[in-house]
Amino acid sequence: MKIEVDIKPTEQILARYPAQPRFLISVMQDIQLGYRYLPREALERVAGALGVPLARVYGVATFYKAFSLTPRGERELRICTGTACHIRGAPLILHELQTRLGIKPGQTTEDLVFSLEAVNCVGACALAPVVVVNDVAHGNVSVTGVRRLIRTPKTPKTPKGKDVGADN
Amino acid sequence: METVRYDSVDDFGSHVKRLKASGLARRRRVLVCCGTGCLAGGARGVAEAFAAQLDRSRQAELNLVVKRTGCHGFCEKGPLVVLMPRGTFYKGVKPEHVSQIIERSIVGDDVIEELLYVEPGSGKPVAGYGEIEFYARQTRVAMRNIGHIDPADIDDYLLRDGYAALAKTLSTMTPEDVLSTIEKARLRGRGGGGFDAGRKWRSCKRAAGEKRYVIANGDEGDPGAFMDRSIMEGDPHGVLEGMVIGAYALESHEGYIYVRQEYPLAVEHLQRAIDDARARNLLGDNILGSNFSFDIEISRGGGAFVCGESSALMRSVEGKVGEPRAKYVHATDKGLWDQPTVLNNVETWVTVPRIIEQGAEWFAGLGTEGSKGTKAFSLVGKVKNTGLVEVEMGTTLREIIFGPGGGMLEEGERGRFKAVQTGGPSGGCLPAAQLDLPVDFDTLTRAGSMMGSGGMIVMDHSTCMVDVARYFLSFLVDESCGKCVPCREGLFQMYQIVSRICEGEGTAGDLDQIDDLSRAILVGSLCALGKSGPNPVLSTLQHFRDEYRAHINERRCPAGVCKALITYRVVNEACDGCGACLKACASSAILGTPKKGDTFNIDEAKCDRCGACVTVCKRGAIAVG
Amino acid sequence: MEQTGPSSFNITINGRRVEAARGEVVLQVARRAGIQIPTLCDHPAVEAFGSCRLCMVEVTKEEWKGWKGLMTACLYPVAQGLIIETDSESVHHVRRNVLDLLLARCPDSELIRRLAAEYGVTRTSFVQRENPDLCILCGLCTRVCETAATSAITTTRRGHDREVGTPWGGPPPDCIGCLGCAHVCPTGHITFEDKGLTRTIWGREFELQRCSDCGKPLPLTRDQVDFLARRQQLDPSYLSRCADCQRRSVAQTMGRIARWHQLGLVQEEAEVAQ
Repeated sequence: MKIEVDIKPTEQILARYPAQPRFLISVMQDIQLGYRYLPREALERVAGALGVPLARVYGVATFYKAFSLTPRGERELRICTGTACHIRGAPLILHELQTRLGIKPGQTTEDLVFSLEAVNCVGACALAPVVVVNDVAHGNVSVTGVRRLIRTPKTPKTPKGKDVGADN
Repeated sequence: METVRYDSVDDFGSHVKRLKASGLARRRRVLVCCGTGCLAGGARGVAEAFAAQLDRSRQAELNLVVKRTGCHGFCEKGPLVVLMPRGTFYKGVKPEHVSQIIERSIVGDDVIEELLYVEPGSGKPVAGYGEIEFYARQTRVAMRNIGHIDPADIDDYLLRDGYAALAKTLSTMTPEDVLSTIEKARLRGRGGGGFDAGRKWRSCKRAAGEKRYVIANGDEGDPGAFMDRSIMEGDPHGVLEGMVIGAYALESHEGYIYVRQEYPLAVEHLQRAIDDARARNLLGDNILGSNFSFDIEISRGGGAFVCGESSALMRSVEGKVGEPRAKYVHATDKGLWDQPTVLNNVETWVTVPRIIEQGAEWFAGLGTEGSKGTKAFSLVGKVKNTGLVEVEMGTTLREIIFGPGGGMLEEGERGRFKAVQTGGPSGGCLPAAQLDLPVDFDTLTRAGSMMGSGGMIVMDHSTCMVDVARYFLSFLVDESCGKCVPCREGLFQMYQIVSRICEGEGTAGDLDQIDDLSRAILVGSLCALGKSGPNPVLSTLQHFRDEYRAHINERRCPAGVCKALITYRVVNEACDGCGACLKACASSAILGTPKKGDTFNIDEAKCDRCGACVTVCKRGAIAVG
Repeated sequence: MEQTGPSSFNITINGRRVEAARGEVVLQVARRAGIQIPTLCDHPAVEAFGSCRLCMVEVTKEEWKGWKGLMTACLYPVAQGLIIETDSESVHHVRRNVLDLLLARCPDSELIRRLAAEYGVTRTSFVQRENPDLCILCGLCTRVCETAATSAITTTRRGHDREVGTPWGGPPPDCIGCLGCAHVCPTGHITFEDKGLTRTIWGREFELQRCSDCGKPLPLTRDQVDFLARRQQLDPSYLSRCADCQRRSVAQTMGRIARWHQLGLVQEEAEVAQ
């Protein structure tokens, strides 16, 4: 399904910066924030506006983790895989979310609700393990407690009416 | 906060005097920590409750101000509220506690026991900030302001002698005076390299070029480190002041603060500080009427650990991919846009105003012969008190971990100290035998680790050191820029070997191959990411070789971590059949009849070793081994 | 880095004293002295990159008191008193590992097999890449495209996933079909096809320029002619003749000039007389 990309927000973003190659990353960050990914049409416009060859724009887009060339979900779940989080159980949390959502890190659910990512240390090490949902950090997350974060109105309950994601 | 602009150093001086003498300055302070850690714990609600219940007139009535501060560094105990000047320290504060705090500790003179921090050693609650071991044993220089000021309020910074060092610099010192002060202080960079800052500045000063640039490295990519985040969030003006002073010494007029993408709050606070400093003429054209001009721009990272490396960082500022350059040509000669550039870590910059104010001798009087001053560490992992600890160089690892750290987190055999990892992915793991090592750049390097940016991760016997090595290798493989063969291919192959060992498929020749390949990566890589990449493996091999041997020769993981080498089973004698494990298992590997403990069983083939069952079992009826 | 001091001096390579000039790098000095140092990512058309690490040499100076460092010869600047070994044990150790690792990456490359064999590696000691191609990620193609053409191709992603590619993996919009990338590729990974009047490379088809005189296809594409004409500010016609027709055209012009001399005419008069 080819979605029409509204180029206006890209123009507005470009208007905020001088038309110089050095603002490429900043412009792309704003576009990522606005569209939840980097649409090709937007990057083609950026290449022309800043005077950067398209291939280089594409190279930068694929080099940095902040950028995604495919749409990310409404709820971006970022599991911190920093050392402190690692030794306090982050791999288990990641595994749990992978299994429950049926996607791997870097992927988005088909309904575009959830994106999963294993990210570098977010700097909240004292609260390890940490999961960041959009911009909100959740600390001391447990394998069972993390299910709270992926609850939607559609999450099924167990036959007895008890919520599968009950915190222990 | 007033709108005022300082046209001269005298202007500045008299305003600060007025501020300090004012009623506002002498009010009591209610400090609500709003650093990233406390925010994750719900601090926003607490701050809002205070704002709602103590409006401006009530604050004036009670002769106090309510401030949202940056990170105190004791995040695990948050949300934190500190009442000054008394120093009453409340932990784990929730919005519902706020009215009580106001009634009993602000209007009244009481302390609320349930909210007090309990010292793990004595078991006794501690009322005062200054008496808490975690803080009492610290020497805060770089972090001196964090937690005491509202980072969005420049007047708070001024009340703690903020920008006094800058005023002193511009009115009484020449650029050469500043340079020689930093040289005499023997300040070494706090970002990991530990290079002498004075020497770096001096080389840049001597280099030929049209412009000079000054950069603050706020990339803090080492997992487990969050000192720079706290400094940028909690004391942004401190960073700015240091940079202006440095720029003055170097005759640079353009500066950048590179903040990693994962720290949006730091970007916000730094930008606010830049705007406020500009408005007051502490930044920009003709600073304080001195004819010296310097301005700062923030550059956000795109999510790449390699951009913590200075040449890669500079490429990123230039809008390119973060590929490092060989260091044969120093950045001080050809750095940002091929111009002479000084890049220093955020923690280094924030120390500069302190040195100017208190003098080089004062700074050189702290620390050891080779490493002067103090260092901020992020002490995390299996310790009771995780958080930010700043101590004089030369303090031992033991003193840090068992002093402010409060000792090991868990009891019993598994909770015993096993190793402390320092220096992030470039560093190494030190065992119990090295606990009395004084923390110092050279001592740690000689011991096979390194200071790095200050991450200090404490591990106990539930940690598998081979798994730790694999973890760091996986991190580096993910973060390698891919430009050079030894790092890109070499670290990848090392990761394959160590992974195989973790999966019980290690072979006799593996340890020799690791040694040989490590040597090639160490000397062959283009930048420090690659060059220091083998360190975690080499240091764990050096101190925990037996663990590797157990994995390879016996297909056994002594710590019970490596999934392929452990099994989970139900201890039927202890099981009461509650079924919590069955519900928790995402792989449907557990079967059993409710209430019948002897029927519960884990299907090894389906079991993912995720550990969810262990977490929920209240009877300890799941054994891992 | 030495900014002051004599502009030329001697350095020692493998025990021999050779002359070097300030601003030069070890590789060019060695080559001039006839000393072979293997390289993969080095090429005269582009700036040194330092990515393959094959040209590593051992350097020291007397004042370093025995400390030796390994540096890439392609980038390391010469300085007075430099002592270099191009074939020591540590140098060979790095080269052997680099080639062993590249062999794991590109087991089918003739070039890598040959080089690796020179250092005693006939089979890789490491895990071979699945579905390997011939790209050793030397970066020559992208650097040449950037320097001499239009930056149509790029390196994408990073680390072990790094790949030379095109925007969104499709035919690169900015490519002019100049074959610079294919010509510098050391392993033959980049392929192209010239058939009749069509050139195909990177999934794009280009029309070859026909000679304006005889109509024979030239080895340049039309896009390439436009690009060069614009960049070098030349008349496109200058680039649109085949070698033979160009020679004929030059010969004719020279003949005309000779006639004018015979007739004792100055050029303007001759043109009027035409």
